Amino acid sequence: MQQALNGISFGALLFILAAGLSLIFGMMDVVNLAHGAFYMLGAYVALTVVQRTGSFWPALIIAPVAVGLLGLLIEPLLLRRLRGRHLDQVLLTIGLSLVIVDLIGLFWGREIRSIPLPAGLDHSVTVMGGDYPVYRLFVIAFGIVLAVAFSLIHRSTRMGALIRAGVDDAPMLAALGVDIDRLFASTFAVGAALAALAGVVAAPVFGVFPGMDVDALIYSLIVVVVGGLGTLSGAVVGAGLIGPADTFGKVLFPQFALALIFALLALVLLLRPTGLLGRVRIAR
Amino acid sequence: MRRLGYVAGALVAVAALITFPVWTSGWESSRYATTILRDMLVLAIFALSLDLLVGVAGMPSLGHAAFFGGGAYAAAIASQRLGNDDLAIGLAAALLVAALLALAIGIFAVRATGIFFLMLTLAFAQMVFAIAFQATDLTGGSNGLAGVHRPTFAGLDFNAPDALFQLAGCVFVVTLLLLWRVRTSTYGRALVGLRENERRMRALGYDTLRLRLSAFVFSGSLAGIAGALSAYALRFVSTNDVGVPRSIEAFVSVLIGGTGTLLGPAIGAVVVLYLERVLPSAIPFAETVLGIVFIVFVVAARQGIVGLARAVWSGQMASRRRAARATR
Repeated sequence: MQQALNGISFGALLFILAAGLSLIFGMMDVVNLAHGAFYMLGAYVALTVVQRTGSFWPALIIAPVAVGLLGLLIEPLLLRRLRGRHLDQVLLTIGLSLVIVDLIGLFWGREIRSIPLPAGLDHSVTVMGGDYPVYRLFVIAFGIVLAVAFSLIHRSTRMGALIRAGVDDAPMLAALGVDIDRLFASTFAVGAALAALAGVVAAPVFGVFPGMDVDALIYSLIVVVVGGLGTLSGAVVGAGLIGPADTFGKVLFPQFALALIFALLALVLLLRPTGLLGRVRIAR
Repeated sequence: MRRLGYVAGALVAVAALITFPVWTSGWESSRYATTILRDMLVLAIFALSLDLLVGVAGMPSLGHAAFFGGGAYAAAIASQRLGNDDLAIGLAAALLVAALLALAIGIFAVRATGIFFLMLTLAFAQMVFAIAFQATDLTGGSNGLAGVHRPTFAGLDFNAPDALFQLAGCVFVVTLLLLWRVRTSTYGRALVGLRENERRMRALGYDTLRLRLSAFVFSGSLAGIAGALSAYALRFVSTNDVGVPRSIEAFVSVLIGGTGTLLGPAIGAVVVLYLERVLPSAIPFAETVLGIVFIVFVVAARQGIVGLARAVWSGQMASRRRAARATR
């Protein structure tokens, strides 16, 4: 039971993380390999906010906004120059992540740090006869609220309609008079902010350390490939599958935990080359 | 006549490279320079192997460290477990392990192309990293394997100073020749066909999946040799050798030097290792400089150093021809 909750809470975290990656891909056809670096940056900004204010909650707003603004700068300055050259845009994000991760090490140091659980969520409650940390329940609730909010925005707002149209056919949207430059820049910013948000939420559980960017990137790539690229439901399904699978794998056969989710990845690629709910063929 | 000139020039360059420790022995920092150059050569071999995928076949792999690290572990473990330091055994083990890993990953990865291929190679290579990290009794886990024995071969002892530099130099030259031979062969041209127009290659009757898989395994095996050399040179193997940063190192070398150019990846390796090993003694944010250099090349000079040099060279030749015509 404990493990089931752990799995779901990891899945909720993976959803927040992967949603941003999937959104950027869906709109711009760019796999943002700096996603892990944005996640890491979010966690480190949270670290500073917690140290300065003594409270966790402001970080939940400040870090995503700060990283989102960074994304808002990067898209027009760099990515836009390479529009249409998708592979080069992906390569560019590799360079970006090198720079971001190195500067993080320069400013915050290269030691393992931790963020205390936020006040009010730092105790345990009894769930089904066992103690369970409240914070992880909060992560589950947070993930679910976000997923519901996104699907509402996606379905019934103007922004959502623009996103759906852009994912379908961005050039056509531009031809219809939508300012595609602004749309792409804000998409990239929102994707980056989501990565940072995931970093803030994860920091009290997993800590803050060099190398966390690679872990986050790999997990989010696996989630979007399994769930399907470019769709919100794909991120939900991928995260809902990989989170519990990884958690149970680590408990049941610790030696082969990662092998389990990679086996899942390989299986999905063989049977459903578009991912479970995707629109893009990944493999043939 | 002209061809003879090229061959003579190449021979002189090779001789100068292999005897580097000898003719620099007067320098104060000859030892240090030789060590750095040795590691540059190892990275160059690694980058050359990757360019066969990225530059020739158009398969942008971001998981090549899996095979580099696989080879490094194989060579180290073979010498430890078999109690035999023979170079041939070490290299054979590295080749075998890297090839098998490339086959296992390639079966899935080569079904994807472009960005998706890049994503899958990155993800599957991380699986190799996880295995290396967790199989502590075999790989030493996060501590790595220290004290890898220097190899011996046919009475040669590679413990002698600079001997490993010369070994790396020889393997580098052989790799260059091999790749040059491959690129001019029918097989190499078929790989270029994959890059330019895969559908057309299929229509011509090529089994493109098998072609891509063979390139993946061939390139991975070469990377394994580079990994074995790294294990022997540093006498140390760790999970760093299978990690994402190692893959990026090779990829950045290929791109900065120039994809699909024979010498480009080697030149890129020199630039990358200079930025990573020499520059940090001067400034604390060398990795940032590397990232920025890489971004500049991607945005403004995608053809890399060799491509740029070629463009400048042919531009000069053209203007010289124009000038000659004008005076006539």
